[in-house]
Amino acid sequence: MSNELRFLVVDDFSTMRRIVRNLLKESGYTDADEAEDGVVALHKLRNSTFHFVVSDINMPNMNGFQLLAEIKKDEKLKHLPVLMVTAEARKEDIVMAAQQGAAGYIVKPFTKATLEDKVNLILTKLGLK
Amino acid sequence: MSAMDSTTNTPCPFPGTTPAVHQSIGLLTRQLHDALSGLSLTDKLKDLAEEIPDAKSRLSYITRLTGEAAEKVLNRVDLAKAQQDHIAAETRRIGALIVKDPVAAVAKGHVMNFITDVEKSTKEVDQHLTEIMMAQDFHDLTGQVIAKVVTLAANIEVQLVQLLIQTAPQEANLKTPHPPVATPLPHQPVLAGPAINPKGDPDVVSGQSEVDDLLASLGF
Repeated sequence: MSNELRFLVVDDFSTMRRIVRNLLKESGYTDADEAEDGVVALHKLRNSTFHFVVSDINMPNMNGFQLLAEIKKDEKLKHLPVLMVTAEARKEDIVMAAQQGAAGYIVKPFTKATLEDKVNLILTKLGLK
Repeated sequence: MSAMDSTTNTPCPFPGTTPAVHQSIGLLTRQLHDALSGLSLTDKLKDLAEEIPDAKSRLSYITRLTGEAAEKVLNRVDLAKAQQDHIAAETRRIGALIVKDPVAAVAKGHVMNFITDVEKSTKEVDQHLTEIMMAQDFHDLTGQVIAKVVTLAANIEVQLVQLLIQTAPQEANLKTPHPPVATPLPHQPVLAGPAINPKGDPDVVSGQSEVDDLLASLGF
């Protein structure tokens, strides 16, 4: 199933999008697209098929919390697991992400192993792996 | 003979200045005080001044992060190059053995050992390349911090321009066109950005294990 899963990587920094995509590829998830903010991400999610979202929080136009809220209130998208990968390290932000329905939370800087572990854990819980 | 202040009859502290000049300075000081009070600029400038030490630590954070990234990349490149040199040397050696006696090279296990060695080395080189890639995350982290410092500098500029306009002498106000009043940048306190000094701050996690513990405590 892993190879069939399609990821959307959302981050305003192209460097970080590239890093996450490369790490996913190294972990066997070769199908991934990118979005530079929540607005672009939401548009792509509503017009294509994705199975997993990896999103930053601090972004222009629509931040990660707003994107998460939009996903969770959309009947067609709310089932999507959203893994937050962010530099926001305040406990209140982590708690808020969890309460809003994030599937996981990674603080930057992170390691390859951390991303791989969290993605695999989420997919296992959802029965997608 | 020293100049005297006409209102108090005390000697003027600046020899050569006339009482009129001294009075003018006093008047300007009063105007400045009134202008600042009227605009609440003192509070705003005070708030901004309090953010300057934070900006200094943010800049130190950038220096540290970029330095660490450069160091990490150079170290990994050194290790990867050593591996590459090793593979190149082993390839030459096994090539010579095969040319000399191909059957013996296989029979004595030289070829198989070489294949195992190359596989191990390429795996290590790949790990070094991944680490070099991961080191580039400083771009994201420092970029966010730089954006915050730029916002602070822009806010200081806005306040100083307003201060300048408000305190300019009346003649200058008439003769020179007013510079456009910069619109204060929207305040964005909602997101804190990268934690500069997470240790000792109970509201901030210092690493992924603390995130995991926090989420586990919430039942996630």
